Amino acid sequence: MEWQDALCRGAEAVLNILPNSSISVAYHPDFGPHNELLLLELDEKLLPDVLCQRATLRGQPDEDAVFCTSTKTYAVKFVGTSNSVFLIPPSSLSVLDEDPQYDTDKYKDRHAVASVIKIAPGNMELIEVAPMLDRLKLLLSENPLGLSDLSEIMLSADRERGGSVGLYTWDDLVEQIQASDTELKLGLEALSAVEINGYWRLVDEKCMDSVLNMLLNNAVLCEWSFNALSENEVVSMLESDGFPSQIVIHCLHVYGSKVNESLENESVWKLDERCVCAHFAKEILRGGKMKMETFLEEWMRKVPSRMRASLDMLEGKILTEKLGIETWVRAFSASSLPYNPRERFSILFRERSKWEWKDLQPYIRDLRVPGLSSEGLLLKYTRRTQPTLDADPIFSAR
Amino acid sequence: MKIEVKCSCGEGDCPEWAIVELQGVVEVQPEYQNRLQNLEIGRLCRPSDQEIYNFTVGYHELTGSKVALKKPLLVLKKVKHSESDKSANPKSPGVELDVIGVIRHKVLFKTRPKALISKAQPAVREKASASASAASNQ
Repeated sequence: MEWQDALCRGAEAVLNILPNSSISVAYHPDFGPHNELLLLELDEKLLPDVLCQRATLRGQPDEDAVFCTSTKTYAVKFVGTSNSVFLIPPSSLSVLDEDPQYDTDKYKDRHAVASVIKIAPGNMELIEVAPMLDRLKLLLSENPLGLSDLSEIMLSADRERGGSVGLYTWDDLVEQIQASDTELKLGLEALSAVEINGYWRLVDEKCMDSVLNMLLNNAVLCEWSFNALSENEVVSMLESDGFPSQIVIHCLHVYGSKVNESLENESVWKLDERCVCAHFAKEILRGGKMKMETFLEEWMRKVPSRMRASLDMLEGKILTEKLGIETWVRAFSASSLPYNPRERFSILFRERSKWEWKDLQPYIRDLRVPGLSSEGLLLKYTRRTQPTLDADPIFSAR
Repeated sequence: MKIEVKCSCGEGDCPEWAIVELQGVVEVQPEYQNRLQNLEIGRLCRPSDQEIYNFTVGYHELTGSKVALKKPLLVLKKVKHSESDKSANPKSPGVELDVIGVIRHKVLFKTRPKALISKAQPAVREKASASASAASNQ
């Protein structure tokens, strides 16, 4: 057997041993516990994210860290091994501040050597998890924006940072929420949060109600079309009524959608009939449950005359129940439920012990648990009964 | 808290590290306990053009093979920032993780060692932990 070339050392020596040859495996001059060196197992498809600096570890000191790419969140699990895992760096490793002695002629004219820098006790693995968005809701609910804050916003477009209790900037949220940037953005969107003067805020319902009513009143007065609201016109009109532009645009965003960016840099918005009507239903039911007829009567009266309300708009927002011959209705909003599936189902079954699929579906369709299909979710958290073959299945608590 | 995972080597250019993995532990003879540096653990030999390897540790020989990892392993290095960096950006956690290598293959010895005994020598009890060769590689 012949020895390999003397220059071949480190990982290269191990990975490229020629047939009929051998190398020496030795402790590295810097062999030690090297607790600063960690092994992370990850899917090939995540490599580009990590190598292009898009990955971060996030979490509070008392939380288990999660690993976030730009779009997804992963739990980090340490997997130990009882095997001896000899970790061999490439020969050109400079980051370890090699002993300069090592590079001397000591090895010249000698056989190839692979040097073991540490024995790895195991490695970290990643498991995709749902982003921890319930905490986002919790944080933003600390200090929602109310009507009384509006004048302040108009006065000081650039408030001093710091000193404001319960206010969070994007960077604060990234620090606090275990979610990828994309998931955090979607979470803020789902909560209808708005960034005002650098802080992400929830706007309280009373405030949204005032802005929307003012907008609708002005639409009647100024004969604006609900399908082509000029942003500039709406904003300047409502500003004169005391509503800051950020809130007005937020209102357009929540109750409508942008139609297009027209030529003169002017945005045009279209109100969403379903969102507007649902808003009024919620306002009416704020006081508690009502008889269906009374509710419908009041609802029809309250929605703008140019809009047509229908009960299917309230899917996932109200529950109806029959008491004797009367049907009652009350508010129960899917968006108020936690993202944690166990908590979500527990609240749902506390609300109602038996659910028909058509009633249940609107309350769970936004649940995403990686590795679990929606069938899997139902299987895990509910009991399904079907009285007869052609009857609709009924779901109850497990 | 946000800890950045950084990579200075760039995509496709991350240096490859290697793993030699065996069952049990290698015990170093007591007189070498405190001077492991440069001590030879054993000889890794590829006797043919197949990816079959022998690893001779002391009087024990292991037989194994080179396997591609199902998923790559990244070698991360925890880097603590100096105090001056911290004062420049008080929000920074003071730690970042540098990707310094990637591992795609390992030479794995799954079986227990076989004792190398010549007839003249007394039998060496076979155990999962092989003794490291006492011979230093000076």
